Amino acid sequence: MAEYYLTIKALHVGSVIASVALFALRGLLVLAGRPGIGNHAAARYLSYTIDTFLLTFALMLWTILKLDPVVHAWLGVKLLLLVVYIGLGSVALKRARTTTGRAAAWAAALAVVFAMYGIARAHHPLGWLRWWEIL
Amino acid sequence: MSATKKLWLFLAALLVASFSVLLWMGNEIYREKPPIPEAFLGPSGEVLYTRADIERGREVWQSIGGMQLGSIWGHGAYVAPDWSADWLHREAMALLDRHADREHGTTYAALDAESQAALRERVKREMRRNGYDPATGNVALDADRIAAARVVAAHYDGLFGRDPTFTTLRENYAMKEGTVSDDARRAALAAFIHWAAWAATTERPGQAITYTSNWPSEPLVGNEPTSGVFLWTVFSILFLIAGVGAMVWYHAAHLKADELAPPTADPLLGVVSTPSMKATAKYFWIVLALFLAQILLGATTAHYQVEGQTLYGIELAEVLPYSLTRTWHTQLGVLWIATAWLATGLFLAPAIGGAEPRFQRLGVDFLFACLLVIVVGSFAGQWFAVMQKMSLDANFWFGHQGWEYVDLGRFWQIFLFVGLMLWLVLMGRALWPALQRRDETRSIVALLFLSTIAIGLFYGAGLMWGRHTHISMIEYWRWWVVHLWVEGFFEVFATAIIAFLFVKLGLVRGRSATAAVLFATVIFLTGGVLGTAHHWYWAGTPTSIIAIGASFSALEVVPLALIGFEAWETYMRTKASPWMVRYRWPILFFVAVAFWNLVGAGLFGFLINPPLALYYMQGLNLTPLHGHTALFGVYGMLGIGLMLFCLRLMKPQASWDSPLLARGFWALNIGLAGMALLCLLPMGILQVAAAIEHGYWYARSAEFMQSPIIETLVWLRVPGDVVFSVGAVFIALFVARLWIRPRTTRPALDAAGEGAVRTSA
Repeated sequence: MAEYYLTIKALHVGSVIASVALFALRGLLVLAGRPGIGNHAAARYLSYTIDTFLLTFALMLWTILKLDPVVHAWLGVKLLLLVVYIGLGSVALKRARTTTGRAAAWAAALAVVFAMYGIARAHHPLGWLRWWEIL
Repeated sequence: MSATKKLWLFLAALLVASFSVLLWMGNEIYREKPPIPEAFLGPSGEVLYTRADIERGREVWQSIGGMQLGSIWGHGAYVAPDWSADWLHREAMALLDRHADREHGTTYAALDAESQAALRERVKREMRRNGYDPATGNVALDADRIAAARVVAAHYDGLFGRDPTFTTLRENYAMKEGTVSDDARRAALAAFIHWAAWAATTERPGQAITYTSNWPSEPLVGNEPTSGVFLWTVFSILFLIAGVGAMVWYHAAHLKADELAPPTADPLLGVVSTPSMKATAKYFWIVLALFLAQILLGATTAHYQVEGQTLYGIELAEVLPYSLTRTWHTQLGVLWIATAWLATGLFLAPAIGGAEPRFQRLGVDFLFACLLVIVVGSFAGQWFAVMQKMSLDANFWFGHQGWEYVDLGRFWQIFLFVGLMLWLVLMGRALWPALQRRDETRSIVALLFLSTIAIGLFYGAGLMWGRHTHISMIEYWRWWVVHLWVEGFFEVFATAIIAFLFVKLGLVRGRSATAAVLFATVIFLTGGVLGTAHHWYWAGTPTSIIAIGASFSALEVVPLALIGFEAWETYMRTKASPWMVRYRWPILFFVAVAFWNLVGAGLFGFLINPPLALYYMQGLNLTPLHGHTALFGVYGMLGIGLMLFCLRLMKPQASWDSPLLARGFWALNIGLAGMALLCLLPMGILQVAAAIEHGYWYARSAEFMQSPIIETLVWLRVPGDVVFSVGAVFIALFVARLWIRPRTTRPALDAAGEGAVRTSA
């Protein structure tokens, strides 16, 4: 399977882009006072589908690279931030009671994704703080 | 004579006739089973293996998980090879190479096509010749076969030990390092596998087919489907079409809908939970715990197909190897479903009987404690066995018997049997008043009780073999338990209990439900009992088994062809009355039972059922396709549906979180479909093509199973499994919320229209 590493990685990255873009769009719709569209069943189930495949590609990469999240702390931190992202996403789209709260959670969720991107690119828990390894 | 009485008499006659034939088949299998020789001898009398080696080798194989790690004669697990087919192919190749080297000074692969064909013909004759002498009990082998067997034995010694040369192959087969750590045990294991391969390639005396009816497909030794396999396949399809035609005819002529105007209020609202009924709550909690544990172990087992010894870098196989995770996964499947049914029976019996027998609650609690001890004890024993920390003597009693679905050590088997008998006693004494009443539900209650008796007693067939009973006879009895449960008495139980619940809800007349249930029972058991034989086609049995198995297992599918009627009727009952909304979700799970009965049991079952199909498909991924969609799809869904029904009655005031249940329901169904259609079905089809083209061994080989397309399909299991797992978590959360901070409703006992259920926070 290692020979397909680059293909799987491309699919993983593609799924991440699709997933985050959909979340950002749904968040914008909710913030614009159109929760009926942002949280429409079709949008929700499309999101679940993309995320399920995203998870599959992530597990494939993990298996190929054989990385221990404790030894390779960048992976461990990225996984922890993933949990934070999911939590913030839920607050932004559903749980927050005020528009301000939703907007703050939405912005924070995207910031966390940005941080995760930096960590993944740098292969270091400090991520963007080691910007010279990314750019 | 009433129609009900006629059906009862017909059912009795059917059971007597079917079980007479089943016992006769057992006698045939006993007479025609492949002999276990006293010794395999070379030309100068040198001993390759003795009977004692073979018998000890089988015990070693059982101790490492037996059918839970690779398979023998196609029965078992799917990641490691079928050892009998693997040995057969390796021995044929070793012989071909030996001849090629002696006559051409090169390997078989390097020869031209004509020379290869000549050598193949010679090896085919050598390997198919039966050298067994009934007078001495010995098998005479020539020097080349002895040498070839030793080459293969060396391969197995390296593979099952810690030889680093075989590390990659062990990973591909999901075997732990040092699967059999003891040298003498490994040598004995080779003796058993050699014997199994010998039986699969040696012709029966006076016949041109092997002891396993030419299974597995292996072009090198002329193992190909027999004429009987072709003929009975065609006949089985004819029987199926004829059966479906007859059913449609009968359905059109006789079965008229006999619906009742539903009562104005839920008649079951008056059911008061007795102490023993309330005590079954913990059974349902444990059902969900075992279900979640089963999913976790299933995911781990599936992952071992990718990383044979590790889980995302964790060296898991050192403490929890594949054969253990698969053993526990399959056992937990049976255990949680059975527990859901036991609990349903215990919950409903006092309500049906109308009284709480003395000490019933104590019995329910005691049985619960026994079940916990059995699960923990048998699992612990299996861990010690697979880790090779147990003697072979102790293994039989407390460790791992290695027979799929009946893996428990004998002590735990007996304990479970006693537990089932205790369940029967508890059921019987609670149902007794209802059995004595001469009302219209008497026959359904009787059938329900008879099916519980059969479920309990037929587990006893698993006690019919001993440590050294011939494997063909063990297969005979093992399928008495597994097949007669799932294709026979489970079906009867499911049909009877669903009909009974609808009668009690006032939606169906008792008399017509009784006739329908008895008719369905006759139809299910007509195919179900003798259909057991389709599991024995290649288990060292004579051709008569193929004939009976093919004919009757085709009839098993007949009632499933019309199950759409039942599913639709069941679904429409959710709309029969406004108060039926209370039972919407249990009933939708019953609709799912009907759907998966058609797809998982009917379509995917018949896909692998006819002899010619099974000749190539046995032990390929089409088997778990049928296994998952039929066992979970039908009986798992039924278990959840029954649990929800009982919880509705147990907590009539509880407000149900329907959106959560809806998500759980759909996630389970969509996840199961995803697992089947994205992974198991395409993978199985590719394997069948490989088996037909190259021989069965190739479809199970590391070379094929590690190919990019198969690896991709293995990964495509993740989406379906994830969705399924989420569904199970939702169901568990739903049940937990009935106890943790529950919301209550005030059901209107006399409401006839909207607002039958009023919710209060």
